[in-house]
Amino acid sequence: MNWVFLGVAGIIAFLSLYPSFFLLYGSFTDAPLGVPGHFTLNNYIQAYSDPEAYRLILTSFIFGIGASGLSVILALTLAWITIRTNAPFRKLFELTAIVPNIMPPILISISWVLLLNPNNGLINAILMQWFGLESGLFNIYSIPGLIFVEGLILTPLAFLIIAAAMKSMDPALEESAKTLGSGEFGVATRITFPLMRPAVLAAGTLNFVRAVESFDTPAIIALPARIEVFTTKIWREALGSFPTNHNLAATYGVGILVIALVFVYLYRRFTSQVESFSTVTGKGFRPHQIDLGGWRTLASAVAFILLTLMVILPFMVLLLMSVLPYYHVPTWETWKNLTLDNFRYIADNDRVYRAFGNSLFLAIVGASLCMLLASLTSYITVRTKIAARGLLEGLVFIPWAFPGTALALGLLWAYVDFPIPVYATIWIIMIAYVTRFLPYGLRAVSSTIIQIHRELEEASIVCGAGFLATFRRILIPMMRPGVVAGWIILATIFMREFSASLFLYSPGSEPLGPLLYFLYLDGMRGRVAAIGLVISLISIILIAIAQRLSRWDTK
Amino acid sequence: MSKKWTRLSVFAAAFFFVASQAWGQDAKLVAAAKKEGKVVVYGSLESDTVGTIKKAFQKKTGIEMEYWRASATKVMDRAMGEYRAGKPLFDIILTNDNPMQIMLKEGIFAKYNSPSAADFPKDAIDPNLGPRYRNVIVGVVYNKNVIKPADAPKSLEDLISPKYKGKLVMPDPTQHTTTTQWVASLFKLMGKEKADKYIRDLAAMKPILVESLLPAAERVTTGETPIAITYVKYVFIFGQKGAPLDYVRLGKMMGDGHYLGLNNKAPHPNGGKAFIDYFLDDESMNIMAKMGEFVNRKGVYPPLPDADKIQFVEMLDLDKKGFAEKKKEYSKLFLKYSSASP
Repeated sequence: MNWVFLGVAGIIAFLSLYPSFFLLYGSFTDAPLGVPGHFTLNNYIQAYSDPEAYRLILTSFIFGIGASGLSVILALTLAWITIRTNAPFRKLFELTAIVPNIMPPILISISWVLLLNPNNGLINAILMQWFGLESGLFNIYSIPGLIFVEGLILTPLAFLIIAAAMKSMDPALEESAKTLGSGEFGVATRITFPLMRPAVLAAGTLNFVRAVESFDTPAIIALPARIEVFTTKIWREALGSFPTNHNLAATYGVGILVIALVFVYLYRRFTSQVESFSTVTGKGFRPHQIDLGGWRTLASAVAFILLTLMVILPFMVLLLMSVLPYYHVPTWETWKNLTLDNFRYIADNDRVYRAFGNSLFLAIVGASLCMLLASLTSYITVRTKIAARGLLEGLVFIPWAFPGTALALGLLWAYVDFPIPVYATIWIIMIAYVTRFLPYGLRAVSSTIIQIHRELEEASIVCGAGFLATFRRILIPMMRPGVVAGWIILATIFMREFSASLFLYSPGSEPLGPLLYFLYLDGMRGRVAAIGLVISLISIILIAIAQRLSRWDTK
Repeated sequence: MSKKWTRLSVFAAAFFFVASQAWGQDAKLVAAAKKEGKVVVYGSLESDTVGTIKKAFQKKTGIEMEYWRASATKVMDRAMGEYRAGKPLFDIILTNDNPMQIMLKEGIFAKYNSPSAADFPKDAIDPNLGPRYRNVIVGVVYNKNVIKPADAPKSLEDLISPKYKGKLVMPDPTQHTTTTQWVASLFKLMGKEKADKYIRDLAAMKPILVESLLPAAERVTTGETPIAITYVKYVFIFGQKGAPLDYVRLGKMMGDGHYLGLNNKAPHPNGGKAFIDYFLDDESMNIMAKMGEFVNRKGVYPPLPDADKIQFVEMLDLDKKGFAEKKKEYSKLFLKYSSASP
C-alpha cells in the first residue's frame, strides 16, 4: 500500500511541481529557451513596471468577472426552469444544456464572429436590412462581445454545478416559507436562491478562473479588437511576434498562475460547503415542483432562447459555413453554389488526418491514464488513513489552478533539456493534459468512492488478494460509473483542447485544437467548420462507446 | 557537312552524358531519399499550392512529404526554436527573403547547389540561399460587391481617407514580419517624411489587425472588411472560388523574394535535396504560376489581370534587432489598447 501511495504521490508531485519550478526558472533567467542563462529580475521589472500590465490585469478581471457572472445567471435561470418548475419540454432543455461541451469553444467564438461582427455579421446584416440602419447594431470585437461569448461557453459547466445543488436541496425550508404565507416567487427569491449561494459562488469562481486562463475566445475576438488580456499577452510574447521572448511570457505566466491559485483556493472553500450540502441527497427526498400556471410557456420560451444562443445559432452557422465555397452573407445565389469540398478536404489532407489521429490518441490514452491516476489518488485521499494523504491533496491543488498557457510554458522550459526525449513529441502534450485535467477526473471519481462499502474490499483482502488485485477487481468495477463519467468529460475535452496544445505541439504531433486555429488564421473557415462538425460527431461516438462499455457486464 | 555532323554528334554525346549524369544523380538521390522515409517541409507558401506540388512530387519520386504551413514569422520562430533546442524536425524551410536571411545568419542552413537552379536568371540567385524562385507582391485588394470600382481607393494615400474608416484590414505590423517590412519600406515609395506621416495616419485609421496576409484577404472575400493590404495574387486565388475581388492598380507596389533552404541538421538530408531539385524544376514552377504565383521565369505570369504590368520595389531587409525596434515603434502606433470597444 505504502509504495502505491509513494508512487502516486511521486507522479503527482512531479507533474505539478516540475513545470511550476521551470515556469519560475524561465521568468528569472535571461536566456532563450534551451540556452543556459543567468539569474535576473529584469523580466519582472519589464513586465510589471509597464503601465500596460495593470491595464491588462484590469481588463482580465473585467472579462473574468463579466463572463463568469453571465454564465452563472444563465445557468441559474436554466437550472431553475428545468429542475424546479413544471415548464413544458424541461427534460429536453436539461439534456441540451450540456451539448455545447462537445463543440470546440474556438468554433463557438468563430460562429459568433460571423453572427455579430459589425460589418457583415448575419444578425447585424439582418437588422440593418430590416430597420435600414447605416451600421451594425452589435460589435463582437469589444469587451461586452468577449464577455458575451465566453459567458455562453462557460454556462454548461455552471449549469452542471448549480443543477446538482438544486436537485439535492432540502424542500423543508421552502415548505415552511410557504406555510408562513410566501408566494412561489417569494420563496424563490428569499429561500431558494440564497440556499444556492455556495453552489453559485463555486460555479462563479471556477468560471472566473476558466475565463481568465482561456485563450480560445480571446484569440478569436480580443486579438483583432486590440483588447489585451493575460493570455493574449503571453501568446504575443511567446509565439505571436518576432523576436519572441519566452522569458517575458513566463513572467506573465507566473502572474496568471498566482491569480488562479488565489481563486481556486476560494473555489475549494466554497465547494467544501457545497459538498457538505449535497450529502443530504442520501435521504431520498425530491424538491417540490413549482406550478407556474400560465407562466409555464414563458419559462419554456426563456429556456429556448438561451439554448438558441448556446447551441442552435452557433451550430447553424457552422453548418452553413461548412457548405459554402467561401464564407459570405448568404444570398439567393448562394444556394446554387453549396459544396461539400470542405468535407472532402478532411479526407484528402494528411495534415488533417494526422491531427485527427493525434487527438484521438490523446483523448483515448490521455483520458484513460488520467482516470487511472485519478482513481488511485482519490482512493488514497478518501479511503486510506495514510498520514501524508493531506500532502497529496495539497499537490493536486496546483493542477487545479494551473492555467493551460502557463502550464504549457512551464513544460516547455522543463522538457527542452530533459534526458527523456519528450520535447516536441506528442507526449509533452499528453503530460500537459493529464496534469491540467486531473482534477476533473478526481471530482468525478471521488463521489463514487465514498459510496462503496468497505466490506467488499475487506472480503477481497481476506481471500488473499493484494492491494492492486483488490483495486482492479473490486474497486475499479464499483467505481465504474464515476470513472466512465470522468473519462467522457476528459476525452471530449482532449479531443479539442487548445490553450495548452498551441504552445506545445510540433508539426508532427499537431492536435485538432491548434490545427483549427491555424486554418482559421489562414482564412479557411469552411474547412474549420467542417472539421468542427466531425469533431463533435466523434465526441458523441466516444461518449456512446464509453457508456456502452460501462454497462458491459452488468447486462 | 561531315564537320557539322561531327560537331552535332559531339554535342549530342555531351548532352546525353550530362543528362545521364543528372538523371543518374537524381535516381541515386531519390533512392537514398526513399530510404530515409520522407521529407518534412515548414513554410509559408499556401497549403493548396503545396498540396498540388506535393502530389506531383510524390508521383514523380515516390517520396513521402509532410508540409506544415504557418505565417513566415511562425515558421522562422519554430525552426529556430527547434534548432536551438537541438531537435530540428524539419528538412526544408520555404519562406520570405528576410526571415530566410535571419535563419541563414543563425547558421541553420546547409549550402546545396541544386542542378535545377540553372534555369533561373543569374540575378535571381542568392549566393547562399540559391534561386529566388518567386516574388510576392503586396498591394491593395478590395471587394467589388461592397465597394464599387469607382469608389475604390486609387492610391495608397487614398486608403487613409475617412470614408474607408472601419473598412480596412491588414496584418498586425508588430507581429507579422513581412508587414513590419512593408510599413518600414514605405519610404521607398513616398520618401521618408511623407512615409512617417502616412504610417501615423494609417495607424489612426485603426485597421482591423490580423495574423498574416492570407486572413486579411479572406476578410475581404467575406466582405467583413472590404479593403485589405495584402498579396495581390489573392484576387486570382479567391476569385477562382467565386469571390468578387480586384486590386488597386498602384503605380508601384512592394515585393519580396521567396527562397527555400536545406537544414544542415536535416533528419532527411537526401529527401530534402530531392525536394529542392523538384521544387525548382519547370514542372513545379508551372504549377505554381498557374495557381497564382509570380515565379521567376521569363514570360511566365500568373492568370491575374494585368499581371505583366505590375511593377514593384523590393522591401527593406531587417535584422533581429531591427525587427525588435520596429515592433516597439509600431506597437505604440498601431496597438493603442482600449478597455472598451476599438
